Amino acid sequence: MHTQDFPQLDSVDVIKQGFESFGYICSDKIATAVFLAFQLRKPVLVEGPPGVGKTELAKTTAQLLDTPLIRLQCYEGLDEAKALYEWKYGKQLLYTQVLKEKLGDLLQGTHNLAESVERLHQFGDIFYSEEFLEPRPLLKAMQQEKGAILLIDEVDKSDYEFESLLLEILSDYQVSIPEIGTVKAKSSPMVFLTSNNTRDLSDALKRRCLHLYIPFPTVELEERIVRIRVPEIDQKLRHQLVEFVHSLRQLDLKKLPAISETIDWARSLLLLHADELDEELVRSTLNVLLKFEDDIESTDGELRQLVRGVAED
Amino acid sequence: MPENLVSFIQVLRSHDVRISPAETLDAMHVATTLGYGDRSLLRDGLGMTLAKTPEEEAIFLQCFERFFDRGLADVSAPDAPDADDATATEDSSDHPGQQDASPLPARADEALALKVAAEDNPELQALMQSELMRALLENDRNALSLAINRAGEATGLQAIQMFTQKGQYTRRMLDAMGEEQIRAAVIALEREQSPALPQLQRYRDLLREQVRDYVDGQYLLHAEGKTRQFMEDVLSKTRLSNIEHTYLHRVHELVRKMAKKLAARHSRKRRQYRRGQLDMARTLRAGIANDGLMFDLHWRRTRRDKPQILAVCDVSGSVAAYAKFLLLFLYSLQDVLPRVRSFAFSSKLGEVSELFEEHPVEKAIELVNWKYGGATDYGTALTDFARLALDDINSNTTVIILGDARNNKGDPRLEIMQSIYQRSRQVIWLNPESRRAWGTGDSEMHRYQSACHFAAECNNLKQLERIVDQLLKSTR
Repeated sequence: MHTQDFPQLDSVDVIKQGFESFGYICSDKIATAVFLAFQLRKPVLVEGPPGVGKTELAKTTAQLLDTPLIRLQCYEGLDEAKALYEWKYGKQLLYTQVLKEKLGDLLQGTHNLAESVERLHQFGDIFYSEEFLEPRPLLKAMQQEKGAILLIDEVDKSDYEFESLLLEILSDYQVSIPEIGTVKAKSSPMVFLTSNNTRDLSDALKRRCLHLYIPFPTVELEERIVRIRVPEIDQKLRHQLVEFVHSLRQLDLKKLPAISETIDWARSLLLLHADELDEELVRSTLNVLLKFEDDIESTDGELRQLVRGVAED
Repeated sequence: MPENLVSFIQVLRSHDVRISPAETLDAMHVATTLGYGDRSLLRDGLGMTLAKTPEEEAIFLQCFERFFDRGLADVSAPDAPDADDATATEDSSDHPGQQDASPLPARADEALALKVAAEDNPELQALMQSELMRALLENDRNALSLAINRAGEATGLQAIQMFTQKGQYTRRMLDAMGEEQIRAAVIALEREQSPALPQLQRYRDLLREQVRDYVDGQYLLHAEGKTRQFMEDVLSKTRLSNIEHTYLHRVHELVRKMAKKLAARHSRKRRQYRRGQLDMARTLRAGIANDGLMFDLHWRRTRRDKPQILAVCDVSGSVAAYAKFLLLFLYSLQDVLPRVRSFAFSSKLGEVSELFEEHPVEKAIELVNWKYGGATDYGTALTDFARLALDDINSNTTVIILGDARNNKGDPRLEIMQSIYQRSRQVIWLNPESRRAWGTGDSEMHRYQSACHFAAECNNLKQLERIVDQLLKSTR
């Protein structure tokens, strides 16, 4: 990808506006990360609690640039056969069968073994060639003519070995396939890696990336997000519900409600035609925000106080 | 500016943020791309390349504020000297960095009082002419902070290392700025009991305060990290039994830090793969013999063995302190070392692995000491060990023995050690005594050493770290 091709990424402010037009409200920091990633051609490692819009960032960037988004979901046991490339075994087997049948014709006129082998060598070795290569997401991202957004999601779930596999791609935008050689990216993709920090990533990987930590948003930012995602909702209720979610995040919960949950909740309240938060309403819809029975039980006692604190504002 | 960035990175490094040269280059690129105009933009951008974890980011932000504040001399304008001088404070916050040339009314009075006093006091007269005093009187923040900066450079304040040096540097800086002139004038005014004395004293105190603040700031920036590193360096080279009780918690921290470093270095995950993917090349080759029919499938697989570590620790009085650290180390490495079993002995020996499973490490160590402390008898201990664990020792087992090998003239039972030696992958003996003392008096070290793959002196954290590092390398 070349700088001049994308006026959408000209400056931090332009990026922010561009994101906003696709319904993604972001802080200066996030926009700066995208700007730098593009200018310096470096991958971005996005960390933060689940549900703050890490994956969404990559998706929105793809929309903004109108380039394909290629996504690789990481999990334990993910290996190069699923992430990078695979040989088309079926076709390879067929090829050997075909070769065997044609062998007589091909070798016609040879008189001894040495000659036959010589003749065989004249045919290109296509058993391991690009024709039998099945590209997986990583290789596919390299093959895009006009660049792509490559999203490597939840890289912390993958194995340590897989991280090493990524290093070559992340620093040089190329992959080595032992049977063929080095495949260079036609146009270097813009790479986003996301991590939920379930384990420490290796220094080598971190070193190659810009490090972006997305925390839970401020009240003001989250209100703007809700406004753009659920525009129908009344301003007063919007303020109350965002405040309430923020006070929930102060508690010791197993899983804190994230932005996606706030939006879901706003939609539910809209469906229920609520125009103000009250204790009963919150109690009956709390399962939209909190996903663990323990969390719901432990907040139950404090609901009255939390709701009152928000309603007074 | 690049030099400035480099020295900023030095500061970050001294605060334990690891930054490689490649990252320094990245930071340069970031700075040129973003420019130096927008401070918060630059901060965000640099943060992304230099800080790799939320903790590092917190350190980064702190250092950034301190470092680049100083760089912009106009922002670090000194506060107005007095609380009642509210107008001055407001004024300066309205236009930070602008030269506040017109003396304010309250100050004009003071200046006047001083001027009157100066007429019959030659020392004060001379002082009033000096640049420093003029800057103070006219509340010229730029000139003052410039002078402070210059004095800081002249006295080499960046080399400050210990907090005990703060007073010394403050003194030196004040001297460099010509404070002795003020001091002399104060003495002169005191002699005359002049009414202008309190004013002059106030200016002197104000100046001292400014310089002290500056030194404090610089100390935090340059030395805090260094002091900690120095402390850790000293601690890691001190004999473990000599470390004072007050430092023990620091040592625990240090052990954890070392363990974390080692764990990161060796943290390839060990997992048993039942079956890998189809190994096409091998399958084809096997098929050739059967006329190309590939019914004999081959799978890629990774053979992994299960290493295990048996730690045998002497917890009698003389060696207990060392055992504690070895165990702390080994159990801090639980993520990397798959199976550690530990045994403790003085006269009798018992397995203590369970204690470590049930309790946090520090607590478990206490319990072990309490349960097994006493006089040493290596013979009985080895017999017990053989009974408990000899059958489990195989070519994947590493046995670590920590002890001083002082057997109180008892039977060393060397033959047990030899059978352990023959069965195991390696036997490591760690002895807290220095090598010269081995074999003296009742020490059986030389005899035991013959049944060890590796025997080492181990009485400080540095040595311990090196040995554990080696251990991790060889157990994989």
